Amino acid sequence: MGRTLKFNIFRFNPEDTAAVPRMDTFYLEETDAMTLYIALNRIREEQDPALMFDFMCRAGICGSCAMMINGKPDLACHTKTKKLPSEITLMPMPVFKLIGDLSVDTGTWFRGMNEKVQSWVHTRKTFEPHAPEERMDNALADEIYELERCIECGCCVAACGKANMLPEGFMGATAFNRVARFMMDPRDERTNDQYFEVVGNEDGIFGCLGLLGCEDMCPKKIPLQDQLGVLRRKMGFSQVKHLFKAVMPGK
Amino acid sequence: MMADQTIARVEPVRTEAYLDFLQMLTGVGLVAFMWCHMILVASVNLDLGGGRVMNLIAYFFEATYMAQLGGPLIALTMVFHFVLAARKLPFRAREQKAMWRHTVNFNHTDTWLWIIQAVTAFIILIMGCIHMWTVLTDLPITAAKSAHRIQGGWWLLFYLFLLPMIELHVGIGIYRIGVKWGYIKRANRKVLHGFENKLTVIMIGIGLVTLFTFFFLVKAM
Repeated sequence: MGRTLKFNIFRFNPEDTAAVPRMDTFYLEETDAMTLYIALNRIREEQDPALMFDFMCRAGICGSCAMMINGKPDLACHTKTKKLPSEITLMPMPVFKLIGDLSVDTGTWFRGMNEKVQSWVHTRKTFEPHAPEERMDNALADEIYELERCIECGCCVAACGKANMLPEGFMGATAFNRVARFMMDPRDERTNDQYFEVVGNEDGIFGCLGLLGCEDMCPKKIPLQDQLGVLRRKMGFSQVKHLFKAVMPGK
Repeated sequence: MMADQTIARVEPVRTEAYLDFLQMLTGVGLVAFMWCHMILVASVNLDLGGGRVMNLIAYFFEATYMAQLGGPLIALTMVFHFVLAARKLPFRAREQKAMWRHTVNFNHTDTWLWIIQAVTAFIILIMGCIHMWTVLTDLPITAAKSAHRIQGGWWLLFYLFLLPMIELHVGIGIYRIGVKWGYIKRANRKVLHGFENKLTVIMIGIGLVTLFTFFFLVKAM
């Protein structure tokens, strides 16, 4: 006999002008290997068909079902209820625009972020569709792939103190991870100064408070902490070098 | 086109990088100073409150004018560091509320550490200034004079409060500098965080022993 789980779920539909944000309570019998994704679907099917939440892949790949689970951001589909207490509070992720209940619009935010950091390989070479692909060292390809695993779920942004404090401007760890990925890529011809233009400011890496909410909450365990540190050092030290050159011209 | 915007600009604006670098530099400098300060003051324990070693060290710093010049310089560095670091603090009520709500709901160690650092910063700014003014306007420093101040009672309470504030700020500060500038990585974070915690406890311990010595063992003037 499983536990009876108590769910406190945030409810609000911004489209409904008469709606007021509230918390609704649902009870559910826990079953074997139950995930929050399964629980939410059962609540929607059996108790409240109006409940809004996002999901797609059910396998921790699409990043749609991220939400605040007892205060911490995570993917509903890979969160087992047996790891949680019997009372579970679910809130939508902060920072992102609320669509309704637990569903937020991460897409627009990530589109903006990718445009801001110019998340593509910058090269002057003309693409030859029939030429063999440029070779890359295997170890480097692996390193790049490690950072490419980001599923854009938004957990790192929801876990970020700075992003919560200033939801409008701060780029967040996912953006720094993108920049770090292109800095590694030998095909990208951007100079340090060009990267600096993108992230070398208070909205970027110098606004990062180093709270490591991103590092600790990333459901894909991407080494975000290491990217933040290396990026700040690269960006910061390159500017100090520049200052020395400006003050002491010559060599 | 977006891509051309970065290429067209002649020079990027570097101010925020310089300010962040200076914040780190003044922070590291002040951490080093505070640890040295603790060791020097704790020298009063070496001869069980006799004060000979401490007086000799104090004499050295005054004879070389390091106290007269270095003291105000440290005060200026502290204020400068505060101004630099305060750029990251939420001063608007809306931001403060958002940060506090996030910290409480999220309940995440490193986020709490930042809150502790932000709160202790204001306490240190005020109490540190009071301490420096009191000491630097009454040179030379001697063990007997320090003991006289502490044995008065109120100053003991003052330092019993200031000591953990400083050591927490310093300990968390150096850990966070390590994180932000990439010296503390995923691979060594746990070990170095544990080391920082131990160091903070040891420093508070040394401080408490020193206060005990000043209160009970040193002969006040």
